Amino acid sequence: MVSKTEETQLNRLENQVDNGGGGAWEYLCLARKLKVRRPEKVLKYGLSILNDSKKRSALGPEEWTLYEQVAIAAMDCQCLDVAKDCIKVLRKKFPESKRVGRLEGMLLEAKGLWGEAEKAYSSLSEDNPLDQVIHKRRVAMAKAQGNISAAIEWLNKYLEIFMADHDAWRELAEIYVSLQMYKQAAFCYEELILSQPTVPLYHLAYADVLYTLGGLENLQTAKKYYASTIDLTGGKNTRALLGICLCTSAIGQVSKGRNKEDKESPELQSLAAKALEKDYKERADDKHGLLTCVLRSLKI
Amino acid sequence: MAEDLVLDTAIRDWVLIPLSVVMVLIGILRYFVSKLMLSSQLPDPKIVKEGQVIVRARNLRAAANFIPPKSFRSRRVYFSNEENGLLFVPKGQAQNPQAQMFSDPNMAMDMMKKNLSMIIPQTLTFAWVNFFFSGFVAAKIPFPLTQRFRSMLQNGIDLSTVDVSYVSSRSWYFLNLFGLRGLFSLILGEENATDDTQRMMQMSGFGFDPSKSLGAEKDGLDIVQHEWALPKFEHRAEAALKKLIK
Repeated sequence: MVSKTEETQLNRLENQVDNGGGGAWEYLCLARKLKVRRPEKVLKYGLSILNDSKKRSALGPEEWTLYEQVAIAAMDCQCLDVAKDCIKVLRKKFPESKRVGRLEGMLLEAKGLWGEAEKAYSSLSEDNPLDQVIHKRRVAMAKAQGNISAAIEWLNKYLEIFMADHDAWRELAEIYVSLQMYKQAAFCYEELILSQPTVPLYHLAYADVLYTLGGLENLQTAKKYYASTIDLTGGKNTRALLGICLCTSAIGQVSKGRNKEDKESPELQSLAAKALEKDYKERADDKHGLLTCVLRSLKI
Repeated sequence: MAEDLVLDTAIRDWVLIPLSVVMVLIGILRYFVSKLMLSSQLPDPKIVKEGQVIVRARNLRAAANFIPPKSFRSRRVYFSNEENGLLFVPKGQAQNPQAQMFSDPNMAMDMMKKNLSMIIPQTLTFAWVNFFFSGFVAAKIPFPLTQRFRSMLQNGIDLSTVDVSYVSSRSWYFLNLFGLRGLFSLILGEENATDDTQRMMQMSGFGFDPSKSLGAEKDGLDIVQHEWALPKFEHRAEAALKKLIK
């Protein structure tokens, strides 16, 4: 994940380059390091550097990484002839390279020739079974073709080997949620929380999934995770606050007959409601009436 | 005994400085040669997977208190299960990593190359120093030493009454050998093959021993007591909200 300082630095460089202040090369390097996806800008500034032969020779050996970056950006923007030219140049320079082979596979993918791309990727992965990028491209291809179950299969195979890759767990969790396989999604979110316990997003997503699953135990757990999100974000996350209110009222409904009282945090719901009201009054006053209605109906 | 010998400045010009320059040049040469001879080592899939398993198990141990007890317990069983747990290595299978390394021809070749690239220049330079630069006092160490160091530092000098602080060029060679590492990391960047001392330390603590670290992780995991931290968070959330509302 990109940290805040890095994000501000990236935006600052982007503004600088947009307004003609130079520094395109630093921007491209930073984008490459942070792995952010800004295809139009990368394409525009990358091409301006590559087409100017003086600037190109000033880059030295970094020229080829720039070609690769521009090729990928061109494929993102569907400028396939630009991508093909870049790949041709790279192929001439590195005839036996697997990295260029990967790019060619991606070009086939971008053109929509799924069968040939699949063939290219399988031959590449035979030579190099531990190449993470090829595995991920396979998953992306399956997803793009709409074949979600194949995507899940490939992703599971990938995770069997590379089980410490938290981005992959995140992708799998989102796929499961889209297919409403909530139990499996909960497992993936647990993995994410284990690897990065201080990221509130994962707590929030996990709480959402638990709340959707329902059942008294899950609701109580969900409430705890909404609370942890609030703690990690200092109370500023509206979704977590609403989650707390919803959870508490759902728990109250489910355990209506039983005498199980949640003695742990009786005030949490009222506090969350007050915080929500204050937030809405400050930021979205016109919706404040809507909020009061919702809260009133929940308290029942 | 403590007279001050006056050393000719010609010694400094023709012995100390050329020796250092030669060692720097040989180091740079070795760096480039090692870069040329670098063979790309294909990572073994089993080792990669074990590395990743260890990372995941470590995460589980570190953040165990953030997930519900049932999930933690099921994950623990998954890892340390007797039959097919990921971390469980039956006693017979624990491979001797040394034997494995020698049987794998690629790795043996790599090791030999690295050793040769280290040993040969050292031997040659040492022989050269001994041949050309022996039999005279080269430098004076600024602090006094005991008599024990005489045999080590004054090898070519056959007088037994010279103060031990006056050393031969061999000791200057050794000083350079260990001292130029810092200079090399300045000139050549971080990854240079001239880290002899580092390499020697590496060779003594031999290679990546996956089965042992798996066993260690399993033990660590078995020890962990799960104490669910989430209930605390509810109270903290209350406190945070109270502060926010004020």
